[in-house]
Amino acid sequence: MGVEILSLLGLSSVFGLIGLVLAGWMAWRIVEKTGLPGWAGLSAILLTLTGVGTIVPLILLWVFAFMRWPRDEMAGVALGTSSPARPASPSALPPPPAAVADRRAWRLSGSLSSGGTVTLTVDGSVPAYLLTGAAAAQANELSVPDPSVGQPHARLLSAAGRLGLEDLGTAGSTFIDGARLLPEHGPRDISAARAIRLGSVELALSRA
Amino acid sequence: MDPIAWLLGLGSLLMFGIVVVHLLTALVLIIPTWRICMRAGFSGALSLFHLVPLIGPFIVMAVLAFSDWPGGEASPGKR
Repeated sequence: MGVEILSLLGLSSVFGLIGLVLAGWMAWRIVEKTGLPGWAGLSAILLTLTGVGTIVPLILLWVFAFMRWPRDEMAGVALGTSSPARPASPSALPPPPAAVADRRAWRLSGSLSSGGTVTLTVDGSVPAYLLTGAAAAQANELSVPDPSVGQPHARLLSAAGRLGLEDLGTAGSTFIDGARLLPEHGPRDISAARAIRLGSVELALSRA
Repeated sequence: MDPIAWLLGLGSLLMFGIVVVHLLTALVLIIPTWRICMRAGFSGALSLFHLVPLIGPFIVMAVLAFSDWPGGEASPGKR
């Protein structure tokens, strides 16, 4: 009887060890994807071995879920929404030849659920446009007259020949090439995207 | 009082307590995990795997750890 109990305890310890290693490895990968150092995730899992038990890792899970991730800041930098310090260029080297910026306007076109079509042109004359399901009342509003589109639904940002998109959190969701864009993602660069979806309206993105 | 009925009642109460504690623990895990899943670009309902005893949290972590995040990941050079 004693042998059986001891072997059972040993078995559960082995399973516990395997679970701990797996959890530490996965936590490392998850935390790395957000731009934070992977060892932070592993350390949080290993804390369960200490006297503080599971309370501290649980608190860290909540902090991790609601903190600002470096990944989100990188997305903002890519669109020029923040201004990190840039290293000075070496003065000994000649400046690189300036590339000719693509100044063509952007075009968004698609079909509405009512059967009509919509074509929007973003020429970059305004830095930010509001995509709305209502009729455009101002110069910076672009109308997508469909009941599934919020009023307003999303924000289009134009800077340095690139185009960004930010979801404003209305009921109809926003997608970039099939991937859902959430308000907490902030503005995302869609210059290389093929299509965006506002509610049920699919808009193909191209250069005018 | 019938000892069998008394034991059955005690067992039922114990099971009820275990289920309630499990649900509360799962809820404490589901709320932050729901937000992590949403920020990663997955459905928040993925976090409901925490309701599965023992292996549920491992399933959620495995999906988050070994799949490409639709919401975007930090570039490898920045890690």
